[in-house]
Amino acid sequence: MTTRVRGGVGYVLVTVGRLALAAVFLLAAYSKIRPQASMPWSIGSVKTSLALFALEVDSYQLLPAPAVSTVAQLLPPFELFLGLWLLSGVAVRVSALLTTLLLAGFFAVMVRSYALHLGINCGCFGPGEQLGPKTLMRDGSFLLVSIAVTIGAFLTRPRRSERSAAAIAPAAVSSEQTR
Amino acid sequence: MNIPIDRSNQRTARARWATWASRALWALAVVSTLATGMACYAARNTLQSAARSSEPVSAPQKTYGSKDAPIRLEVFSDFQCPSCRSFYEQTLRPMINDYVAAGKVYIVHRDYPLPMHRYGYESARWANAAARIGKFQDVEAALYDNQDAWAANGDIQKYVAAALSPSEFKRVGKLMEGCEDQPTASTTSTQAGGAAQANHGCAEDTYIDQDKALGSQIPVQATPTVVIYYKGKKYSAASGVVSWTILKQFFDQLLTQ
Repeated sequence: MTTRVRGGVGYVLVTVGRLALAAVFLLAAYSKIRPQASMPWSIGSVKTSLALFALEVDSYQLLPAPAVSTVAQLLPPFELFLGLWLLSGVAVRVSALLTTLLLAGFFAVMVRSYALHLGINCGCFGPGEQLGPKTLMRDGSFLLVSIAVTIGAFLTRPRRSERSAAAIAPAAVSSEQTR
Repeated sequence: MNIPIDRSNQRTARARWATWASRALWALAVVSTLATGMACYAARNTLQSAARSSEPVSAPQKTYGSKDAPIRLEVFSDFQCPSCRSFYEQTLRPMINDYVAAGKVYIVHRDYPLPMHRYGYESARWANAAARIGKFQDVEAALYDNQDAWAANGDIQKYVAAALSPSEFKRVGKLMEGCEDQPTASTTSTQAGGAAQANHGCAEDTYIDQDKALGSQIPVQATPTVVIYYKGKKYSAASGVVSWTILKQFFDQLLTQ
C-alpha cells in the first residue's frame, strides 16, 4: 500500500471532504435539537424536539419503544459531537471510520424502509422530510464521500513531527524495559 | 184567545232555534278544534321532516373528543391503506380511550384516499355520509376492522350497514344516492392518466376534496400522516405508523410545557 505525505492533492481532498461531513453532521444535529413551532430555546423546547424526533425514529419500525426513546435522545448529541470532532481534525482516521460506519447504518435502514414502502419521513435533517429517492441519493452520496475520506485518511501519512513522536514512543518503552 | 197560543208557538220556535244554533256552534267548535289539531300535527310533521332533511346538509363531523383539548391531532388517512389500519388499531384506539377521553387530545379525521387503492375513495364517501348523521366513529371502526374483506370485493355497504341501525343506514343510503353509480376518483384518475378528479355529482366528494386540498398544502406524501397542534401552534407532520407509547411521550412533553 502506497502512502502520501500531507500537503498533496489527496490531503486537500480529505480535508475538504472531512469539513463537508462535519457541516452535514452539525446541521443534522441542529435540525433535530432546534425548538419547533417557533418556541424559544430552553431545555423544555429541546426535550420537545427530541420527543418529536422519536416519532421519526419509531416510524422506521425497527426498535422497541424504550430503544426508540434512547436512540432519539442520544443520536442528535452524538451527531453534534461527531461534527465537532470532524471539524477539529483530531484523529481523522478514527473519526472518518466512525462516520462511515454510522452513515452506512443510516443508509441501510433507509433502503430497507423504502423497499418496504413504509411511506415515512427520513428524519435525517429534522422532521417533515419524506423518505424517497432524493433522500436516498443524498445520503448515499454522503456515504461515498465518507468512504473516500476514510480511505484517504488511511492513505495519507502523518506529518514528520507526528511520525517522529510515534517513533519516540516505542523507543522510550523499550528503554524502560531494558532498565 | 189565539194570542196566547201564538206566543207559546213563538217561544217553542225560539227555543228550537236556540238549541240548533248551540248545537251548530258546538259542532263548529269541535270541527275547528279537530282541524286546528290536524293542522298542528301536520305542521309539526313537516317541521320534523324539514329538520331531518336539514341535518344531513351540515358538514360531516369526523372528530373525536372535545374541541377545547390542548392538543389537536389531524390524521390524513385512506380507509383502504393497511398502514392506516395499523395506525388506527394500535395508536388511535388506545389514544381515544385514554387521552381523548381525558380531554387532552382532539382528533380530526381527514380523508386522503390514494389513487392506488380501488375502493379508498368509495369508502371515504360512506364514512362522510355516516359522519353527516353523526355516525362517523362507528363506520370508521367498521371499515378498518373489516378492511381485508371489503378491499377484496368492494362490498363496503355490507359493513356500513352492520355498523348502523336500519333507520340510520337508510339515512346514509339516501345521502349516498347518486354516488355509487358514478366513477370514483381512483378509477377516474386511472382513466385520466393519474390526474385525480372526483366526480362532483356525489355530494360527499366535496368534503373529500376539501380534505385532500388541505393535505396537499402540508403536503401529505403518504398515509397515514399526522399533524399535531398544541395550543394552536403547528408541529411538523409525521408520516407512517407511530406507536401509542412514543406518541404519548411526545404529548406528555407538550403538556408539561
